[in-house]
Amino acid sequence: MSKITSSSTAEYFAKNLQQVGFSSPTKAVLTTLKEAVDNALDACEEANILPELTVSIQKLGNGSSRNTDLIEIIVEDNGPGIELEDLPKVFGEYLASSKFGRGRCSRGQQGIGISAATTWAQLTNATGVKVISKTKSMRKAVTATVDVDIKGNRGLLKNKETIEWDRPHGIRVDFRIDGRIQLNGDGGLLTYLEGTTLVNPHLTLHYKLLDENMVHVERVSDSVPEIPPSTLPHPHTMKLGEFMTHAALFGKITLENFIKKGFSRVTDQTIKAMVAKGLPRNNLNRSLAQISEEEFKKIFQVIQETELVNPSTKSVLTVGEEGLAKSIHRLGEVDFFSVVTRKPTICDHKPVVVEAAIARFLTRGDPDTPVQLLRFANRVPLQFDKGACAITRAVESVNWRAYGLMQPKDSLPQGPFVFAVSVTSPFIKFKNASKETIDGGEDLIEEIRRTLMQAGQKLSRHIRAEDKAADLERKLQHIEKFGPILVEGLARIVGATKSREERAEEGLKKLLGREASDAEKAMSDAEVKLKSMQDKEKRKFGSEVFEGKIFEKKSEGIGDVESNENEA
Amino acid sequence: MNKTREIRVRELKKDIPKIAKSMCDTMLVDLEKARRPVLEAVKCSLDNSFYNAKVGYLTPGEKKVKTELNVSSVQKMARTIFVLEILLNNLSASVVNNKREIYYIAKGLIRSSMHLKPLDFDDQNESDSIIDFICDMLEVYREEMNCFANDRGGQTYSKQLVVTEHLSDGTSAVVDLGQMGTTPFQPKNRPQSFKLKGKGKIEFCLVIESEGTANTLVANGMHTRHPCIIIGAQGVPSNGVRGWCKSIQDQLKVPMYFYGDLDAYTLQNIFRTLKAGSAASLIRNSDFSAPDVRFLGVLPEDVKQYDLHCYNVNEKDPVEMRSLKKAKDTLENDPFFQDKKNKKLADILRWLIKEKKRCEQQAVFSVDPKDPLILEKVIIEKIKKGIFI
Ligand SMILES: Nc1ncnc2c1ncn2[C@@H]1O[C@H](COP(=O)(O)OP(=O)(O)OP(=O)(O)O)[C@@H](O)[C@H]1O
Ligand SMILES: [Mg+2]
Repeated sequence: MSKITSSSTAEYFAKNLQQVGFSSPTKAVLTTLKEAVDNALDACEEANILPELTVSIQKLGNGSSRNTDLIEIIVEDNGPGIELEDLPKVFGEYLASSKFGRGRCSRGQQGIGISAATTWAQLTNATGVKVISKTKSMRKAVTATVDVDIKGNRGLLKNKETIEWDRPHGIRVDFRIDGRIQLNGDGGLLTYLEGTTLVNPHLTLHYKLLDENMVHVERVSDSVPEIPPSTLPHPHTMKLGEFMTHAALFGKITLENFIKKGFSRVTDQTIKAMVAKGLPRNNLNRSLAQISEEEFKKIFQVIQETELVNPSTKSVLTVGEEGLAKSIHRLGEVDFFSVVTRKPTICDHKPVVVEAAIARFLTRGDPDTPVQLLRFANRVPLQFDKGACAITRAVESVNWRAYGLMQPKDSLPQGPFVFAVSVTSPFIKFKNASKETIDGGEDLIEEIRRTLMQAGQKLSRHIRAEDKAADLERKLQHIEKFGPILVEGLARIVGATKSREERAEEGLKKLLGREASDAEKAMSDAEVKLKSMQDKEKRKFGSEVFEGKIFEKKSEGIGDVESNENEA
Repeated sequence: MNKTREIRVRELKKDIPKIAKSMCDTMLVDLEKARRPVLEAVKCSLDNSFYNAKVGYLTPGEKKVKTELNVSSVQKMARTIFVLEILLNNLSASVVNNKREIYYIAKGLIRSSMHLKPLDFDDQNESDSIIDFICDMLEVYREEMNCFANDRGGQTYSKQLVVTEHLSDGTSAVVDLGQMGTTPFQPKNRPQSFKLKGKGKIEFCLVIESEGTANTLVANGMHTRHPCIIIGAQGVPSNGVRGWCKSIQDQLKVPMYFYGDLDAYTLQNIFRTLKAGSAASLIRNSDFSAPDVRFLGVLPEDVKQYDLHCYNVNEKDPVEMRSLKKAKDTLENDPFFQDKKNKKLADILRWLIKEKKRCEQQAVFSVDPKDPLILEKVIIEKIKKGIFI
């Protein structure tokens, strides 16, 4: 196997930054923000800390390249901090991640993200990232600038200083890059922050974007999600290339040990089965280093053909219905909502869990435009290439009209709704390195569909009750409007007396009144059904949560004038 | 306007105002007793159409569309009674209007009286369909409700034909078509009430699909060489054209021929409507069709005989393909084409479906490009030799 050296790794990424999210000035800003925030959230979760993040994005002037601005992106977290000697590794070295290939549902997966952001800063603004770090054991915080040494795939520390920082621990990164700011829309910064808020009920977030007021979003859950223990990859979830990269991590051990230790669900029994399927027995004791690419291909094929127990679903993590129910109120004034968290399951041999939150808002969206679809993979918002994503395809394939929504054929439904769909899996499959679209097999799409349909059913209770009320209203109006005109017209043509006319009008009211009372009954039936569902959910989430009462107050700050910025 | 002699489309035994009144009375009585009034109209669709070759036109079956009063239909009923009143007023005042005018009259009345606002029509289609519903319900012709369409087509040329029209003021107008040169006579309103006479023998009546081609034949003097009547249909025949052909057939008893394109549309929509009426006008076909008219061409055999230029049906063109698909449906569902009397016409449809070709009526001009009279010659030859269906 050809060996990838660390230095060529850095060069590779420096040349191909567009592949990891730096393909346009607007995307560069979003990607930088996203890598920093995702890392902060991961770090807090690992250290069992309730995250409190402060984000600031400002325009400092013109960028160095045409049509760009010089953008400053600051992200501050209250996570565990990073030891001084690790700073150059984390921010300046590729593939130095602690999470790589570990089979956990963490946001970061590759060990590319933040170093790519540093590289972009360096390429466009000649200096890397300015970091402040403080761990529990440091008395004072350290500050330094980390540059990337592209040739050597190393981080270089500059301007190191110790400073006073009034936090017990945490990280503050300050990137200055060429970019452009887009706040709203699929690829917008605000969309990212809102999405992140939604799937992280335990997050408290303060953010200031350009000249807008500082916004405070308080946490709605006080428990840090517990990250389930990592799981080894399952051989059937891998493609040949991944299989070989995975092997490269294991160095010089024997093939047998690699298959047993590198994967879940492989036992002596399965090794025997593989041999029976044609795996040359003498290969088992050979060192991985001696096995040629050609041989790897064969081994891989045999493993694919061997039957294996599906991977365990214990390794997946959920936001949970309660968390989503609470969190969704942080996006605006909710009219009604429906949340579904499915049980973990196996799709295309991978453990996954799918969750959905659908809400109709009083304050965002409108009836004639498509719903806002928020997609998440391992709680990271996916904001590009919507059409190619498994989530989008699943949403479009559901018949939303059955639940009372407007939907043009094979498209997203319409209305003032937010549809949030979150897929969590230790082995999530993306279509590309910039992690923008989920590559879903039929299994996964079907699982997402089911989640959505379940949410749709709950939703339809609300919509149906509304429709019935509208129907009654329409019927009453019809009777009131057209009834008298009809009777009048008949009386005039016939030349009927006033008393006949009155009698006929009475009769008509009686007739149509019967229908109106039927409509009334249909409406109250629908309302009873809705109420019983609401009661059930109230018991599940607590009535304040359900009605969004306690959050209305806390989220009041959104968009409000900051009253006292210096308050702790 | 003075009340004078009524000009009629047919000898109608019905007293329309009386029938309308009694219908309204029944509805009122129902309402007084808190029963749901029901309006019934003939179902005007192919599945309620019958064809008997002896009768010659499509007639209605037993099926009815019923509109019972309920919350959803109360709007339609109120609109029906409202428009009925307008039409009855027109009848009693002996004034006429066309559908568009009725639409505006309705809008005007609604505007002048706030509480009628809910009845308002958004566009003419809505009031048109109410007018059609009233006619189907009372089983009367729109013309009998003094409501006329702006009928197109029917331009007629002849050296022999004399038309006498009795006017509502008691006088009559006599029009001698032989005195009109190349200016066509065009029937309007109630051509069934015209009195027709031929100065000398008229050999045949020729209805041409394209009014332009009819005009060419006349300009080149066909009607001076042959004692005949030439009519331009201008596409699907309007009520005026249909009534006019019916009068010519019945009063002059001359053979009538139709000449048009060889394609499914001409056969199903134009020729069938002229000869036997349509499913939409089931209650009117008896006075709005000319069952004796024959299909002179273009026939598939003419294509062969004269080596006429054809177009292949463009399989990528959805309109052309739909018309072929409709031809297949027609063979399965249309009682006119299913009747064995019309087997030869159905055979043409089958030929069109199989060959996927179409031939235009003007193609004959390429038979002898130097002869401006070639179409006239071909037509006369076909009539003489009896090459028609
Ligand atoms: N704010 C932070 N606080 C504490 N540790 C951090 C912080 N940011 C990064 N790290 C550490 O640095 C490592 C590398 O981060 P990096 O973003 O390069 O990779 P990743 O998050 O694992 O994967 P990905 O490339 O998918 O983002 C992380 O795995 C984490 O251990
Ligand atoms: Mg990361």
